[in-house]
Amino acid sequence: MDLRESLGMAVKTLTANKLRSTLTMLGIIIGNASVIAMVGIGEGAQKFVSEEIEGLGPNVLFVVPGNQETQRATFNLPKTLVLSDAEAIAEQVPSVVGVAPEFNDSGPVVYRNRSTNSTIVGTTPGFPLVRNFTVGRGRFFTDLDMQRSTQVAVLGSELADRLFQGSEPVGQQIRVKNVSFQVIGVLDEKGSGLGGLNYDEAVLVPLLTLSRRLVGQTSPFGVELTYIVASVDRQDNMGAAEFQIANLLRLRHKITGADDFVVRSQKDLLEFTGTITGALTALLAAIAGISLLVGGIGIMNIMLVSVRERTQEIGLRKAIGASGNDILVQFMIEAVILSAAGGIIGTGIGVGGAALLGAVTPFQPGISVSAIVISVVVSGSIGLFFGVVPARQAAQLDPIVALRSA
Amino acid sequence: MTQPIIQFDHISKIYGTGNTEVRALSDVSLTVQSGEYCAIMGPSGSGKSTAMNVIGCLDRPTAGRYCLDGVDVSLLDDRALAHIRNQKIGFVFQQFHLLPQLTALENVMLPMVYAGVPYPERHDRATAALTRVGLDNRLSNKPAQLSGGQQQRVAIARAIVNQPVLLLADEPTGALDSHTTQDVMAIFAELNASGITVVMVTHEAEVARLTRRVVWFRDGEVVHDHLAPEDIGQMAFTA
Ligand SMILES: Nc1ncnc2c1ncn2[C@@H]1O[C@H](COP(=O)(O)OP(=O)(O)OP(=O)(O)O)[C@@H](O)[C@H]1O
Ligand SMILES: [Mg+2]
Repeated sequence: MDLRESLGMAVKTLTANKLRSTLTMLGIIIGNASVIAMVGIGEGAQKFVSEEIEGLGPNVLFVVPGNQETQRATFNLPKTLVLSDAEAIAEQVPSVVGVAPEFNDSGPVVYRNRSTNSTIVGTTPGFPLVRNFTVGRGRFFTDLDMQRSTQVAVLGSELADRLFQGSEPVGQQIRVKNVSFQVIGVLDEKGSGLGGLNYDEAVLVPLLTLSRRLVGQTSPFGVELTYIVASVDRQDNMGAAEFQIANLLRLRHKITGADDFVVRSQKDLLEFTGTITGALTALLAAIAGISLLVGGIGIMNIMLVSVRERTQEIGLRKAIGASGNDILVQFMIEAVILSAAGGIIGTGIGVGGAALLGAVTPFQPGISVSAIVISVVVSGSIGLFFGVVPARQAAQLDPIVALRSA
Repeated sequence: MTQPIIQFDHISKIYGTGNTEVRALSDVSLTVQSGEYCAIMGPSGSGKSTAMNVIGCLDRPTAGRYCLDGVDVSLLDDRALAHIRNQKIGFVFQQFHLLPQLTALENVMLPMVYAGVPYPERHDRATAALTRVGLDNRLSNKPAQLSGGQQQRVAIARAIVNQPVLLLADEPTGALDSHTTQDVMAIFAELNASGITVVMVTHEAEVARLTRRVVWFRDGEVVHDHLAPEDIGQMAFTA
């Protein structure tokens, strides 16, 4: 009996009981839909983060305090970087064209009777250049503002909208952590940034103003920093700049053992976040894979019931010339058709669902052809795997017992 | 110039072991020649169905040698037995055993599917077989749309479509009324006349009277073996 005959027969049997076939496929459909959607979301998130990092520009180096160990162990990093480190990098590393050190704090920002909690970023006049921001209205603060610790603030676009709701912010007085500041500018919108820090929702003030008037730093070593961002003139110089910055800081920090800082390039960040989002994708896929497994067990369950129900049919088929092998193949094919069809339908739903998610979330889900092919092949194999037990049971049925079970 | 189709040589079939042991067939020796028309009778539990199952290669004897159409089938594996059932034997059951999701024509085509007959030939032969049993106007009906007698005729068409040498029927008229029993028996007589060996189990003396040989079973043994017609009612009394 050839495969085409068996296929036709299986389709006939399955369509004879459409409701049951559909319900049997449901597990696989849901499993597949979730695999496709989850992997799509994961890949979308990965792409989103990558694009964000690439948006920083390829010529940017991050200097963060702590070393690999402390960074892994805690979010509360030791503040080993100070403003004079940043100034030294700007002056002494030849390929560095600008630095933007940052100290990040948070607190209430109040305009008249409107109040909101937001991130307070203390930075230097180099920020817009290094971080690729443009000032939409007003101006950014200057070296003079830094030197005098003037109480001026630049607002992120969203924060400005929330506090001022359409009225002109520039020139207005706001209170940041109960200290009065004059708004001198508003940044253009840029979208959410890395590590959860969204500059659109932040208020930026001169670094020295922040440390003196808002934080009240008393460190004997200088003005503490959360991190330093340095921009390098050319891509070719990235390696050299990274090396020189590291050496400079080792000298300045008198390091003989392990570093108390890490220099990261865009490439490092891409790799780092790549492993995180990759793990996330794998996790999502694993969860979805479990539902696929459950779907497979569902198929096995229904097929076992089906074998019991169809004992007479099996006995009859054997009596008129079907071998055990013919029966085995018949039930295997039914299981594979159910799971493969479920796989295809589920994939369709998954693609649709991912597209829908793409419409309501900031990232575009990545639907790869390979994910679809793998998904359908895997669900087919699941049918094969979970079809074996019922099919063997059917094949081994004693035709006499089967025929008598009227 | 007869040639044996069924040769039972000291066949026994024992179910269970120890206390629960049942001797369904006990040292039965029996020969049925090609072209015979034979009824098997006997009280319930006497081993008639068991004998039919062994004859039909659905079951293996516990002891003894069984040759079907000159072939010792005790040496054959599952695949070869399936092939023999497909090619040499046609089964008719009391319960018809038609597949409900298939039409009459598709039911009759089924044995040819397992024989690997290509579709056009399959279709033509199935149509011919259904015509032979007088159902050429019911080809595309499902079993549920047919009367009991019609269903049994479809089952007979299915049994003969691969041109078997032996037709086995276990109480083929058991579920039919006397009128349709006559129709079905007429078909069996016609098939036998065309050369097919027919063996059927029946409880009805009127049915057995229409055959040409009656084998009586009792407690797993053959107790009478004689040519019909005789006074079968009388035999049932003495058996
Ligand atoms: N699978 C089995 N396991 C155990 N005992 C069995 C099995 N099949 C049949 N028997 C026993 O073998 C004996 C013969 O059974 P069989 O079905 O051949 O009788 P029968 O002559 O066909 O009876 P009936 O006229 O009622 O159909 C019975 O005692 C029955 O209980
Ligand atoms: Mg019986």
